[in-house]
Amino acid sequence: VKPAPFRYAAPDSLAGALELLEDEDALPLAGGQSLVPLLNFRLARPSLLVDLGGVAELRGVDRVGDRLVIGAMTRQTELLRSGVAATGWPLIGEALAHVGHAAIRNRGTVGGSVAHADPAAELPVALSALDARMRVSSAAGERVVEVADFFRGPMMTALRPGELLVGIDVPLAPGAARMAFAEHARTHGDFAIAGVAIVQAPGQHAAIALLGGGLGPVRATAAERALLDGAAPAEVAALAATCAAGDHRRALIGALTTRALDRVTT
Amino acid sequence: MTRWSARQGDVDAAFAAAAHVVRGSYELPRLIAAPMETRGAIAAPAVAGEDGDVLTVWVSAQDLHRPRAQLAHILGRSESSLRLIIPDVGGAFGSKGVIAPEVAAVAAAALTLGVPVKWAEDRLENLVGTYQGRGIDGELELALDRDGRMLALRARLRADLGGYLLTTTPIPPHTAGTLIAGCYDISVADVEVLGVRTNKVPTGPYRGAGRPDAAYMIEALVDEAARMTAIDRVELRRRNLVHRFPHRTPTGLEYDSGDFERCLDLALELAQMPRDAGPDDSDWVRGTGIAVYVERAGGAFEGAEMTLEPGGRFTVDSSSSPHGQGHDITFAQIAAERLSVEPDAIELRFGDSANSPPGVGTFGSRSVSQAGSAVALAADDLVAAARTRAARVLEVDADEIAHGPGGFRAGGASVTWAELAAAASEPIRADARFQSANVFSSGAYVASVAIDRATGTLRVERLVAVDDAGILINPLLAHGQVIGGVVQGLGECLTEEAVYDDAAQLRTGTFLDYSLLTAAEIPPIVTGEVQTPSPLNPLGAKGAGEGGVVGTLPAIANAVADALGGRVISPPFTAEKLWRALQEQPATGERGEP
Repeated sequence: VKPAPFRYAAPDSLAGALELLEDEDALPLAGGQSLVPLLNFRLARPSLLVDLGGVAELRGVDRVGDRLVIGAMTRQTELLRSGVAATGWPLIGEALAHVGHAAIRNRGTVGGSVAHADPAAELPVALSALDARMRVSSAAGERVVEVADFFRGPMMTALRPGELLVGIDVPLAPGAARMAFAEHARTHGDFAIAGVAIVQAPGQHAAIALLGGGLGPVRATAAERALLDGAAPAEVAALAATCAAGDHRRALIGALTTRALDRVTT
Repeated sequence: MTRWSARQGDVDAAFAAAAHVVRGSYELPRLIAAPMETRGAIAAPAVAGEDGDVLTVWVSAQDLHRPRAQLAHILGRSESSLRLIIPDVGGAFGSKGVIAPEVAAVAAAALTLGVPVKWAEDRLENLVGTYQGRGIDGELELALDRDGRMLALRARLRADLGGYLLTTTPIPPHTAGTLIAGCYDISVADVEVLGVRTNKVPTGPYRGAGRPDAAYMIEALVDEAARMTAIDRVELRRRNLVHRFPHRTPTGLEYDSGDFERCLDLALELAQMPRDAGPDDSDWVRGTGIAVYVERAGGAFEGAEMTLEPGGRFTVDSSSSPHGQGHDITFAQIAAERLSVEPDAIELRFGDSANSPPGVGTFGSRSVSQAGSAVALAADDLVAAARTRAARVLEVDADEIAHGPGGFRAGGASVTWAELAAAASEPIRADARFQSANVFSSGAYVASVAIDRATGTLRVERLVAVDDAGILINPLLAHGQVIGGVVQGLGECLTEEAVYDDAAQLRTGTFLDYSLLTAAEIPPIVTGEVQTPSPLNPLGAKGAGEGGVVGTLPAIANAVADALGGRVISPPFTAEKLWRALQEQPATGERGEP
């Protein structure tokens, strides 16, 4: 087994990392919880692996004004335990609790999960419901990509060659929004078959993002409008369910939406 | 590829005379053993000038003797030219009883190259290449008289054996066929087991190895009979349980002893039936399931050699090596009790063919009853030999000597084991071989389940496990075996299934796809025990290694069928399958109420 031969570099600065990532066969290594298995199966065969573990400036969770600012190399456990995140953005911790197991979250990073864009991953769905913005850098400069534009399909994102996801900004939801995450998986810690993230402030704001509703996070826009207009939970859930393909998955999305709504509205 | 049948009595006449005939079709998917440690081996040729031409092979295997015989056969060498060493092994669950082809390959490579060669597989290789378990379906018919007395059983089992026969491939389906009458006194039967070739990896023993298959099918059929005859499922079982032992089954087995009804009573008492069966509500559909099982354990022979060492310590060489069962503790307890010394005075050795007595292997819930009995006999012989020496030391007749804690005494004089060891001109040793027919463990399980109407998610709310593994030597280890077996049985019920696509590619080649349970999925488990001694060995022991997995599957399957109004679906009981079954079933509010 195991990986095809590759070179390995461990830069200690973002600038150094971006320079190395200009090599078109280079891949960034974050927590390795997805990339290392892919390397071992030889589904990924980079010529150069750029280990971001030593880039201190990519780590940290802070509140800046009304934004939660998360460094891409922040470990999932660190974000899960962040009091700052829990205060304004409890949805994130709730979703993260479903990501793998503690040992995986201790190594796995926030940016790694987002940039990997597994369609069954929880974090992208939570960030979708929170209208997060992705900060993306390359040797040419930095740009910001809205979450709605970031996920392009299974394992596909708006990242261009040479670009690195460096951080995620999450705005504070309007009003005193309440949030809930619910998912269905075969076993605890397994990838979810279906999930839902809801952010709601009655009369002001409604966001419903779905896992399993498509090839990446999907916003259930019709259900959101109905929720904003004060529709009954059953109606909102039924509208959300129409976003999924397959009758059992529609049933799962409907049931999970009902349960999550129950938690944000009571 | 294989065919086996057994027939006793006039089956056609019994069916023709029956008041009720109940039929069922059942299917169990293939399962992957998935031990924590994958398979591997190191082969090292003899160093020039040492060991003759002995090839030393370290294998992650269940036991010593089968791999050595297999390797000798494949390599065309004598067994004495192979030294097998079984180090600590990270689990097997049946999957390491036949050596992998790679073990023979590293042995051949080491012989050819004259250097040590190592092989260790990764998880993908283990999931793809190891022989799998189960993969069997069956069609059963049961004839009953007006009172629910079982008159005759027909069973046609069909096993997916894979592409070729390993030495143990035919065994699980045969075991399923022989145990198909379960705990019931049915004297007329016609049983056929067909093993068919498919283009998959072979099957072979996996914890239970045919026993859960038989229990699943007969227990589902008995529930079907209860529904058809409108006789209470507990009462129907009581009317038909075997009560007299030894009992000869129509398939040729002889149950040595047991108390099936006491197991059932205890399980029902622990389950607090029927209070445990909550009513259905708008969110959950509930069901309870009852199953009794009997399983073949023990059999064949094992050996033990015991030596009194300086300082009054004892060395025991056992032919049976453990791979997680705790043989060292159990066997030390057996020896200590017979020698009347502390267990820590005893050192167990196993897993090296250089000093192992002849034996068969560690499988089929047989270690305590066979290898443990050999240890007991060796200890008795050692006491007898030591008594003679003690008589000489104390200058009295042997029959005046009392054996007790620490050594021997006659009147006011005594001699300790340590003194005997020091006084002996040659080592005091004993060896023993123990052989017996199969012993039969049994049990009764009760499961309560709830199915989420909206998603189909199965929640096992409670599981009661009552096992009769004969006289228990170490209750803690026996309890661990039950819990471990139950958890593997739950995995089989909830998630586990080896899935192949149309091109025979394994689609469950990682743990993302082959889903094992986590601690979060384990329900409260209530255990109880009945200890019916086996008359076939000096310990009265049976076997505990497989009961948990044998009882759990039919209990949960019957509970699921109960929740679904009698509809039988095949495990694993995934949310999608259950949700579909609920969609096709009219909602009723009456089921499950007292």
